Amino acid sequence: MEDMIQMDRAMSTQQDIKIRANGVQVYYGENHAIKDVSVEIQDKTVTAFIGPSGCGKSTFLRCINRMNDTIDICRVTGDIRIDDEDIYDPRVDPVQLRAKVGMVFQKPNPFPKSIYDNVAYGPKIHGLAASKADLDEIVEKALRRGAIWDEVKDRLHAPGTGLSGGQQQRLCIARAIATEPEVLLMDEPCSALDPIATAQVEELIDELRQNYSVVIVTHSMQQAARVSQRTAFFHLGNLVEYADTDKIFTNPEDPRTESYISGRIG
Amino acid sequence: MTDASLHKKGKSLLALDARTKKRNAAEARFKGYGIAAIAVSLFFLVALLVTIISNGVPAFTQTYVNVAVTLDAAKLDKNGNRDIDDIKKVSTFGYKPLINAALVDAVAGIETELSDKDVGKILSASAPAVVRDYVIANPDQIGETVAFRLLTSSRVDGYMKGRVVREDLARDKNLDAAHLDLIDVMVGQGSVERVFNWDFVLGADASESRPEQAGIGVSMLGSFFMMLVVLILALPIGVAASIYLEEFAPQNRFTDLIEVNISNLAAVPSIVFGILGLAVFIQFAHLPQSAPIVGGLTLTLMTLPTIVISTRASLKSVPPSIRDAALGVGASKMQAVFHHVLPLAMPGILTGTIIGLAQALGETAPLLLIGMVGYIATNYPDGVASGFLDPNSAMPAQIYEWAKRADPAFYERAWGGIIVLLLFLLTMNLIAIILRRRFERRW
Amino acid sequence: MIRQVRVAQSGMAGDQMSNAMILLIVLGLGAVGYFLGRRRALAKVGGDPRGLHSLPRYYGANVAMNAVVPALVLLVGWLIIQPIVINSAVSGMIPESAVSEGSSISLLMSDVRRVADGLDAAVSQGVMTEAEALRLDEDAVKEALAGVGVALGADVTAETLAAAQRYREMAGTGNVLKAIVIIGAALIGFAVAFGRTTPDFRARNVVERGVMMVLIAAASIAILTTLGIVLSLIFNTVEFFRLYPASQFFFSLSWNPSFSGRGGGSELGILPLLWGTLYISFIALLVAVPIGLFAAIYLSEYASKSVRSVAKPLLELLAGIPTIVYGLFALLTVGPLLVQVFGDDGALGVDWMQGGTAVMTAGLVMGIMLIPFVSSLSDDIINAVPQAMRDGSLGLGATHSETVRQVILPAALPGIVGAILLAASRAIGETMIVVLGAGAAARLSMNPFDAMTTVTAKIVSQLTGDSDFASPEALVAFALGISLFVITLGLNVIAMMIVRKYREQYE
Repeated sequence: MEDMIQMDRAMSTQQDIKIRANGVQVYYGENHAIKDVSVEIQDKTVTAFIGPSGCGKSTFLRCINRMNDTIDICRVTGDIRIDDEDIYDPRVDPVQLRAKVGMVFQKPNPFPKSIYDNVAYGPKIHGLAASKADLDEIVEKALRRGAIWDEVKDRLHAPGTGLSGGQQQRLCIARAIATEPEVLLMDEPCSALDPIATAQVEELIDELRQNYSVVIVTHSMQQAARVSQRTAFFHLGNLVEYADTDKIFTNPEDPRTESYISGRIG
Repeated sequence: MTDASLHKKGKSLLALDARTKKRNAAEARFKGYGIAAIAVSLFFLVALLVTIISNGVPAFTQTYVNVAVTLDAAKLDKNGNRDIDDIKKVSTFGYKPLINAALVDAVAGIETELSDKDVGKILSASAPAVVRDYVIANPDQIGETVAFRLLTSSRVDGYMKGRVVREDLARDKNLDAAHLDLIDVMVGQGSVERVFNWDFVLGADASESRPEQAGIGVSMLGSFFMMLVVLILALPIGVAASIYLEEFAPQNRFTDLIEVNISNLAAVPSIVFGILGLAVFIQFAHLPQSAPIVGGLTLTLMTLPTIVISTRASLKSVPPSIRDAALGVGASKMQAVFHHVLPLAMPGILTGTIIGLAQALGETAPLLLIGMVGYIATNYPDGVASGFLDPNSAMPAQIYEWAKRADPAFYERAWGGIIVLLLFLLTMNLIAIILRRRFERRW
Repeated sequence: MIRQVRVAQSGMAGDQMSNAMILLIVLGLGAVGYFLGRRRALAKVGGDPRGLHSLPRYYGANVAMNAVVPALVLLVGWLIIQPIVINSAVSGMIPESAVSEGSSISLLMSDVRRVADGLDAAVSQGVMTEAEALRLDEDAVKEALAGVGVALGADVTAETLAAAQRYREMAGTGNVLKAIVIIGAALIGFAVAFGRTTPDFRARNVVERGVMMVLIAAASIAILTTLGIVLSLIFNTVEFFRLYPASQFFFSLSWNPSFSGRGGGSELGILPLLWGTLYISFIALLVAVPIGLFAAIYLSEYASKSVRSVAKPLLELLAGIPTIVYGLFALLTVGPLLVQVFGDDGALGVDWMQGGTAVMTAGLVMGIMLIPFVSSLSDDIINAVPQAMRDGSLGLGATHSETVRQVILPAALPGIVGAILLAASRAIGETMIVVLGAGAAARLSMNPFDAMTTVTAKIVSQLTGDSDFASPEALVAFALGISLFVITLGLNVIAMMIVRKYREQYE
């Protein structure tokens, strides 16, 4: 116990804690989907959530920007703080929260609009651009950070749905970046992509670490090992183990983690 | 931790910025529009139902006068031999004075400025015929004094229902305010009363001058025979067509052509089906005008697409595993469909058929063109063949007919007719819902 | 007794009796065939059905099918063709000169049929013998027929009577031939199928092929219906354009039919009717589209489950109410109410509205009728927008309404346009509301409180009443009908194409 605290302190001196979750429980109607999860997520780090399907990792991810609010039967208790502010405080508007905590989804979901409008959508609704030139700049910056600028700069006004799967997903990442979030949540962002596109997106995620706190849910342990610095293992709604990625994959403490890593469960 | 929030570019989440407030206001407004739209729609629904009920319910009661008429033998049977043919020779004009006299007797104690002759105006013009029919049916009663319950005129009925007020009568040659005073007294005496009006529900239509006598019963039969035709034709044809399209039809031009035709027919205005009925069934095939069989045929063609679409949906909902199972034990495709798929799809098919029938029952426009309006449905069909082939009206056509007539007393009938029609539709839809609930299968 | 006379009275019913007899005989043959065929099949294998290729009942059904189906097809064909043949033969007998001014050959032919039917009725009622009927001269005809309840309008000319006699003669021969041919066909079918009943005969396959034919025939009725609509519209429209110039019909700015009898001088331009139709439909859509769309948005995006489970069926109730009810509502409630507001001495003190029937009245009520139509179509379409779109937008911090307005509606736009077109087609084809609520006067006016009339309302008014069916005043209804058919069909086809394309986009 003493050790843990000491280790924690050591970490937080290097790296700030961005998100602090404490005793989070999630219920879908009768179903207890997340059981008392507490976790601290660092800034400017890629944190991976792994675990077998149905373990609650996506559900927990969606709690962080309150996307679960859109599901009628979903109930969340416990305490999630970003920068020490309780995001489930009644004074918090999920709209403002989601501007701060962007999200990228499993399947690329560009809007049926032009590439430009897809990226400009967020800045427009949040009023981030003062002028058209301003907006152009934001869009270009986001597309560059999304590592897709070179591929689309000549056809910004073509429909976003016309891009390839990998391009679409990078467009969606660029779209999420455009609102200048501080946290980026990614829900299995590569599961619908081919290996080449996956590699491109993974590369991008690694770059994003410079500016954001990235939380990625993934099915693939290899991916978690490749892109993340910290890894949390979920199983049946419980957070089983949370540690540096290297540690999780080489020397897991919990037998369940070991079973999963070695392919015995999942 | 202390410096954690210092280098954050973000603002606090706990304070709403002005822009978010504005956006939330827009959100609330937008949601408000939605609620308003629902509220407006429901308001229209309620307004419609309230109008129907408040205007239509009075049609179900009618004002009658109880009066004892002396059936004077000297006038009704001059020869005194009770020969039915002689009795029949006395027309309704012969009965009028008798009834008038009886009425004058009945109001003898009441002070009124009306002349004896004018007192009779409170009665419906149908009164003499009622007495005459009674006498012809019971010739042995001639000479007796018989108590009759006779219809009052539509003005008196309107007064009792609050539709007619004294001011309205200033220029009305049919009735005076003095009549109404008389009625007031008679109501007190109990000789004038409002009772449930079975004649409206079961009776026949009456001529333009006798709204108090008009009923929807005969046109109800007309509708019934039409629906029978629709059911007998549309159900088997619709099911056969659906089975072909859903189970057997190959992917080719012919099938496409049928599919396109069905989906287009479903959207063709109903009046066009009326034109078709007129041109094909009446002009070309010389079927009798105004007959329920023509209406039924026309409505069949109109209802078929609805039935085909719903039948196909229920055939489609039977999982392929059922077909595979039947084919697996060596049944032919045809046997698999008729022995297994069709029975399983039956509840869905019946539900669709009932809904199609309900639609056809309320349809008016095509009936206008094949002559089911303008025909005054005064006679019950005498038998099944006559029910199909003789001119008749149908409920919606009868309602339209009443709505067009000049006397506002008919409007009450029209609204009342709508209540009857809606009750039928409601029942049919309830049956459909119950069927669906009862037999719905989730695979 | 009374019933029998009554049935015999109309030639129609008389014909049906003999047709019914033929039908009965054919069906009887079928029933007998079923049992005999089944028995024969069993007898051939000594009562052991395992020796047969198909189940015994298929052998029975095969015989029954062969006896009944060809005979019935023949019967139907005969019933359609015989009157055509006789008509053309008989109308050839009537000389051009007999067709008087203001009349037509078709009118004369209906006289001929009337006389012929009347004579049939007279004979069957025993008023005269067959021989007397044949000897009857033209002066006595009218009287004789009045005696059996057939009233004739004009006097019967010698040509008409001769034609009628010929008509009767041909119909008589035709009916006898018909009975022989059809019952013969049934017998032949019976015999052939019965003869083929051997244990190796693949009865099931044959019967199933027969059933398949029936199924295909049933499915083809849709095509026949469309064909019937198109042909009956086209033939009568061509007839109309022979009597009235097409250019006048399409381009004349006035609609002013003279009532038949006074003859000629009618102005039958479709434009004022089209204007009324479009104006009313426009107002209806103005009411229905925003309300229906917002109702759909609220129900599919905002409403809780319980609100939806109450509000949706109530909206559908509005859709289940027959149009005659809306028509009455327009005529008796909404019209007078609007006059109280916009009429002379109205609440607003403006004198815009003269009577209860007006474009506004009909449009408003039609709008109410279309609300559930628009909302349920839009509901489907909005629900077809993938959840991923909503998540994407909400995940970026958009509010729900921003998501709806800027992502869902643009995505659903083609579908919604399709739905609006379908609603427009409904509005244009709607009849009862405009017949009762819009008025009867054709007018090219901008004032929505004026009474105007529509294509559908005029189809009704021109085809009801006592107008002569061959006059341009009546035939114009078919030209109006074909215009209506083409317009609504066009709208439907475009709308369905758009909706289908839209659906495919998300499949």
